[in-house]
Amino acid sequence: MIVGIKDAVKLVSISIICACAVLVCTMFLNYGIDLMTIKELLTTEQERIVWDAQKATARVVCLITGGCLLMTSVVTLFFYMKYYIDAHKKELGILKALGYGNGKIAASFWIFGSSVFIGAAAGYLGAHLLIPELYRLQNKDAFLPEVSVRFHPVLFLWMVVLPTVFFSVLSVFYARLRLKVPALRLLRGEGVQKASEKAQKYRKSGTGQQSTFLHELKRATLWGKKSLLFFIIFSAFCFSAMTQMSFSMKELSSDMMGIMIMGIGLILAVTTLFLAVTTLVRGNAKTIVMMRAFGYSKRECCNALLGVYRPAAYIGFAIGTAYQYGLLRVMVDIVFRDMEGMPDYHFHVPRMLVSLVCFLVLYELMVWGYSEKMRRISIKEIMMESE
Amino acid sequence: MIELEDVTKAYGSGESRTQVLKGISLTMEEHDFVVILGASGSGKSTLLHVMSGLEKPDTGKICYDGKDITKLTDDQCTQFRKENVGFIFQQYYLLPNMTVEKNVKMGADLANNADYEELIEAVGLKDKRHKYPNQLSGGEQQRAAIARALAKKPNVLFLDEPTGALDEETGRSALYFISQLYEKYGFTIVMVTHNQNIAEMAHRVVLMNSGRIAEIRTNKAVKNAYEIGW
Repeated sequence: MIVGIKDAVKLVSISIICACAVLVCTMFLNYGIDLMTIKELLTTEQERIVWDAQKATARVVCLITGGCLLMTSVVTLFFYMKYYIDAHKKELGILKALGYGNGKIAASFWIFGSSVFIGAAAGYLGAHLLIPELYRLQNKDAFLPEVSVRFHPVLFLWMVVLPTVFFSVLSVFYARLRLKVPALRLLRGEGVQKASEKAQKYRKSGTGQQSTFLHELKRATLWGKKSLLFFIIFSAFCFSAMTQMSFSMKELSSDMMGIMIMGIGLILAVTTLFLAVTTLVRGNAKTIVMMRAFGYSKRECCNALLGVYRPAAYIGFAIGTAYQYGLLRVMVDIVFRDMEGMPDYHFHVPRMLVSLVCFLVLYELMVWGYSEKMRRISIKEIMMESE
Repeated sequence: MIELEDVTKAYGSGESRTQVLKGISLTMEEHDFVVILGASGSGKSTLLHVMSGLEKPDTGKICYDGKDITKLTDDQCTQFRKENVGFIFQQYYLLPNMTVEKNVKMGADLANNADYEELIEAVGLKDKRHKYPNQLSGGEQQRAAIARALAKKPNVLFLDEPTGALDEETGRSALYFISQLYEKYGFTIVMVTHNQNIAEMAHRVVLMNSGRIAEIRTNKAVKNAYEIGW
């Protein structure tokens, strides 16, 4: 086996994202299915309004959470696989040179689907622990006849088996695509993108020689790995949207919903931020070591490689703020419009500021922690790795 | 002047502890060309690392014009390297996502050196200044690394097996560029190598064996890169 289980386990971020997605989707799908069983028991107009609103909520939550997190998982998988292939170019090049076909090598990448299985199974189990509480809270004011919890085995197929198979197949196809490079190029450790294309892009971009090295490094770091940019924006988005939404959900729904949203938001934000920053620092270890050897300070290294993502993080935060406001407005003004006793919803500036300050603290702590890590990267270790 | 006094360095701990440097004392004058010669594992690269301030020795002093760099904090040591030393490594370590020009600017910006293009021209890479490292041959990459190291106008240039990854022709060419620039700019050279022939280019040769200096000899007649054997 070329790709081992240890490599797949490193995909803990995908496991976490999948766990969150499956947890939420399983709970609301289960609830949505069980809601259908009480449809015939509805007698009043008010009951029908609440029933429709809850059905719509379950659908929206599943679509948004499931859709967003599925997309994020796919991007994370591609990102990690690209990183894995880049880090193992030489080994893969040797295998290709020995006569192993792309298909045979790519087939061993199915193991990456196991991280999805771990996450999905955990999310599925977690959901079944939380389902009774969700049912109780959804109908705490007894607007509807009692909805009893039923176990739906088909959800195991949808939420655990299918995602595992889908991600395993996706891993194999993506690996096959990435391996379509001559063995010699892999052995030389060259990138998949032709360097000449990069050079052309560089010249077209019109960067003058007046710009400083640090400025150029920032530019190259920022645009060199667009997937990292996505993760930083996504992390800030999750933090902003989920923390602000969780405060509002406490008033609009229940404490449990608030805590659940907050928990998922924080897990996603921290995981993606950690994944992005770790990859960035690992991928630039040689650059950091050379800069330090030449006399660039820790602060200059840190600003050039990590500080450059700050504006992206702020943009992600702003998008998250707008998204949660828009979503809650839709829920309150459209989905639950006719429901009696629905509290009014307004944008809450102090909550936004608290969330922003918390995010800044998290982001800067992460940057500080990794700048310390940069300081400790040993030139000897990097040289040994290269030899 | 660089003075090393009873420098020691060990790696690991307990039973796996290895004493790499065992009391090295050495003096180098300004504009000296010193080659540190020794077999693999003799401690020559470690000596270069501690001498250049990349690593701290366990004991001993390393003084540059009387200033002991072993007493410096991490930040002070970075500042010291910024102001004083340049590096050329066997594996070049050019930044892969930067063109030759930007790699050279990495060194030039530290010394506010606006004339770095002169160096790119001097190492014969003017036409390739917009190329990326993986578009260059090994010899060209090493020449880019030479330009980068010299662009920061170092007082001391440290070279760790600079021809180790090059064939004879490109190796000679790289050494030729280094010696030309050495004559022109007047810095001090400390070169680590296991190639005895290269030692004939230096003023002084330090022979290392098992972490100790076995011999220091002075070359009466210095040869150029095309006169030495390979």
